[in-house]
Amino acid sequence: WLASSSLLPLSCIHTSTYLQKSAKWEKKNRIVYPPQLPGEPRRPAEVYHCRRDIKYSHEKMWYLATLIKGMSIDQALAQLEFSDKKGAKVIKEVLLEAQEMAVRNHNVEFKSNLHIAVSATGRGHYVKRIRYHGKGMFGIMKISRCHYFVKLVEGPPPPPEPPKTGFDQAKEYLQQLRSRTLVHTL
Amino acid sequence: MAAAMRAGAARLGPRLCWKAAEAVLCPAGAAPACLVVPVRTKRKRCRVPEWARELSPEQKEQRLRSSGFILPEERVERSFYLASTAAIADPYVPPEGDARHSALSRPGLGQQLEQLKHSAASRLALRKIKDHDPNFSPKAFPEQALEIFIEAHNCLSNFNKQKLHSLVTERCYPELVRGNRYRTIRWSFLGSLQPPRVVQLRCHSLVSKGNLYGQVTVRMHSRQVLAIYDRFGRLMYGGEETPRDVLEYVVFERHLVNPYGTWRMHGKVVPAWAPPKGPIIKTVMIPGPALDPSQEHEAAK
Repeated sequence: WLASSSLLPLSCIHTSTYLQKSAKWEKKNRIVYPPQLPGEPRRPAEVYHCRRDIKYSHEKMWYLATLIKGMSIDQALAQLEFSDKKGAKVIKEVLLEAQEMAVRNHNVEFKSNLHIAVSATGRGHYVKRIRYHGKGMFGIMKISRCHYFVKLVEGPPPPPEPPKTGFDQAKEYLQQLRSRTLVHTL
Repeated sequence: MAAAMRAGAARLGPRLCWKAAEAVLCPAGAAPACLVVPVRTKRKRCRVPEWARELSPEQKEQRLRSSGFILPEERVERSFYLASTAAIADPYVPPEGDARHSALSRPGLGQQLEQLKHSAASRLALRKIKDHDPNFSPKAFPEQALEIFIEAHNCLSNFNKQKLHSLVTERCYPELVRGNRYRTIRWSFLGSLQPPRVVQLRCHSLVSKGNLYGQVTVRMHSRQVLAIYDRFGRLMYGGEETPRDVLEYVVFERHLVNPYGTWRMHGKVVPAWAPPKGPIIKTVMIPGPALDPSQEHEAAK
């Protein structure tokens, strides 16, 4: 998915920007923070990983991405291993690669001490092809691809937000009533 | 997803409507014409008669040459320049227990008074080095070597690659730089505990006989501070408050035949009796053998 304008040996007039792909997620692994002072709390390690042009639909991939959002990495791998979807296998490979990278290159001490902070999908390049029907009929089908992005952060997964109780809602309502004022008056 | 186009299909007929669809999907004007470069040459088949196919390769070449067929010369010429050697020739073996005794005790004094033990090879090498570089002296060289050493480590901390290449040979550069791209290194030189001195000189040649490289081993006993931080600013190794006493045998090399060659750091000699390095702050998992689900690990039994 590199820019076609850079691959041609001869000069080409068609240098369109929509053909160039952005690689911002890969560049996020290259930022270097300055050394921490002794009094600061220890900064958790972050690892960004992605896979491009997976042959799957990004709408279908979204269900799996939201499934594992906020889980610890072991729990996420367990859920994906026993999911029946095609994208589950791909996401599992991506998570294992990211875990390996974290331990080897980014100084993460324990490979289970990671949780998934960001898990997102994006649409890839679509390509249109002919689908042949009977009696000379045809249809134009689109072959859809997607990208998958994941960010692993060191540490236990954050606790889930407690659901809003009726008591909290009542307190908020009273707060709203008390904060009413008159505007544009003396 | 697939929308059947019935009205247009009925009018044009079965074959034509597919071609129309293809024309819709990949119109002629979209793909740039300069992508396709047609090469219009007719492939010539070499006419070798039946009886000539059984000949040996030399006879076949002779036939080709006599028929007037000119083969283009396929000699690939690629010159490369060896600016440094790949290893330390004849590494110095330091005496056991060097720099263990205090300077005022008898064995300590004996170590200090140890003159440069001019073995025959060192004296010969010194003569050869002085042939090519008359300003070289084994008494003034250690200070110059120490300056190069300090400057190289400062460049490593600041990631000044251009200058580092001029201070360090190509063999030593990857050893210094590997794995440090996304790390912060803080190094400082606090002072020498003993003045550096030349311990061994060697001179050898590569490829051809006159292509001389000189290697000088310098013994340095100094106090240094090293701290390595990883990508997120967390301490990985060492500490900034604790200075350490370091005894090193550093090898410097120069391409003697080259008039613009300079003395550069080539590597270090680690003696066999050296104490082990301190542990890193991280715990590392060493994977065990790959087992079947039915097997148990031997240590658990």
